[in-house]
Amino acid sequence: MSQPTPPSTAPAAESPARGAAVPIWLIVVTVMLFYLGALYFDEHGGWFSEKVYGPYTSFQQVADLQISGAPNPLELGLRVYNKPTCVSCHQASGQGAAGQFPSLVGSEWVQEAEPGRIIRAVLNGLQGPITVKNQQFNNAMVPWGGVLSDDEIASVLTYVRQNPEWGNHASAVTAARVKAVREKIKSHPGAFTADELLKIPAAD
Amino acid sequence: MNYGPLIFLTSFLALSASWFGFVLTPQIQIGRQPQGTNSINPAELYPQARPGLAAQGLQVYRANGCAACHSQQVGQTGTVIDVRLLEAGTNAAAVAAALVNANVGISTANAAGLLTGLPKTILSDVSIDVAKLALKALEAPGAKGEIKISPVGADIARGWGRRRTVATDYLFDQPVQLGSQRVGPDLANAGARLPDLNWHLLHLYSPQKMVPGSLMPPYRFLFQVRKIEQQAAADALRLPKEIAPPEGYEVVPKPEAVALAAYLVSLNANTPLFETPMTVAPATTNSPAK
Repeated sequence: MSQPTPPSTAPAAESPARGAAVPIWLIVVTVMLFYLGALYFDEHGGWFSEKVYGPYTSFQQVADLQISGAPNPLELGLRVYNKPTCVSCHQASGQGAAGQFPSLVGSEWVQEAEPGRIIRAVLNGLQGPITVKNQQFNNAMVPWGGVLSDDEIASVLTYVRQNPEWGNHASAVTAARVKAVREKIKSHPGAFTADELLKIPAAD
Repeated sequence: MNYGPLIFLTSFLALSASWFGFVLTPQIQIGRQPQGTNSINPAELYPQARPGLAAQGLQVYRANGCAACHSQQVGQTGTVIDVRLLEAGTNAAAVAAALVNANVGISTANAAGLLTGLPKTILSDVSIDVAKLALKALEAPGAKGEIKISPVGADIARGWGRRRTVATDYLFDQPVQLGSQRVGPDLANAGARLPDLNWHLLHLYSPQKMVPGSLMPPYRFLFQVRKIEQQAAADALRLPKEIAPPEGYEVVPKPEAVALAAYLVSLNANTPLFETPMTVAPATTNSPAK
């Protein structure tokens, strides 16, 4: 007694998957994309140099932009000004603050023909009443003699005295001059007052 | 068939490839940068470690999530190179002729006009080669010029910095607070823009008072309102009437607020570096001493 086999309702078996060959064009496109990528990297990547950042694309490009020669003395002075030293009170604009810190812009103290007085003020600080551009101030300026070197004081004073944006046109200050003044005021440890400064001969 | 080893191997390769690309390569590239010098004064090291109080302030900055609204990275899209003529010297005709001969895009008709009203820019947005040619041509007949290199970009136009920031700028920051959102302004140069510690304290206490329309929430929990005993504290905030505490009380910053303000004042990434060539100071005048 054999069971009659049920009629087969299953669809015909699918054809087995065969490994189809990767089309040649896909390989060509992949290689070309890789080549273009490598080309782009070569031109824009800076070859992993830690000195190359956008928008520059190669070390040579950055190196070409280095300006040789002595630095602009005003740049050195600006760096001392913003250390922060002067900028804390006299502000980046040099205008100071009304009633508290005198303006350096067009100031007669800053632009004296001889820098002796202003060097003293920076070295030992200022104390008490002072008139700048017909305005009265009565405050204290910090002494910078112990913090800044002769070179730094010379360059920051040159920056303040010659800043074209402020319209200041006075002579440059040399480090030798600062050094000479530093020697002269050894016997004067404290801050100067405006009256004291005015008694000192201008050329001293 | 057991595909386990194959799946393991491919995922391992995929993950290690991204580790090589995103972690190891940058580490080799910029991970061991030493403290360098700036490009203006070789005697000055850059960057300098932040002062102790500012280093504590970084942790306050981090704890209060300032980086959620403030980035510390300035972008730069290009560099503009100008040539400025400072002094024409004694032989203006020779200078004009040299400029024309240098073949830098200056015609005979323009050359004479360029020599008056100095100092002024005679060539703008040129390549460095052209700029160097022009400078050479100027210096031969005794004129004086300079090349001005200025980084440009949207961030720089906003006044957020004078150059782009580079990896060296963050050498002493742990962790680096780069940030990605700009609800508020970029702070990479906060100290250069606003060097006043007291301004920052007032701003933390009442941002809208210092910057009208600011979206920043006030950080008043960094301050203490207390009764004035005998005499007011030296570090009490000088507040305008509308937000001042009642008579007999004063607002003093807690140590966290002082540290945070010191950190903000210490943020300054404007130093010219080899990586970011630029000229910074106002150009030298042609009317020197006396």
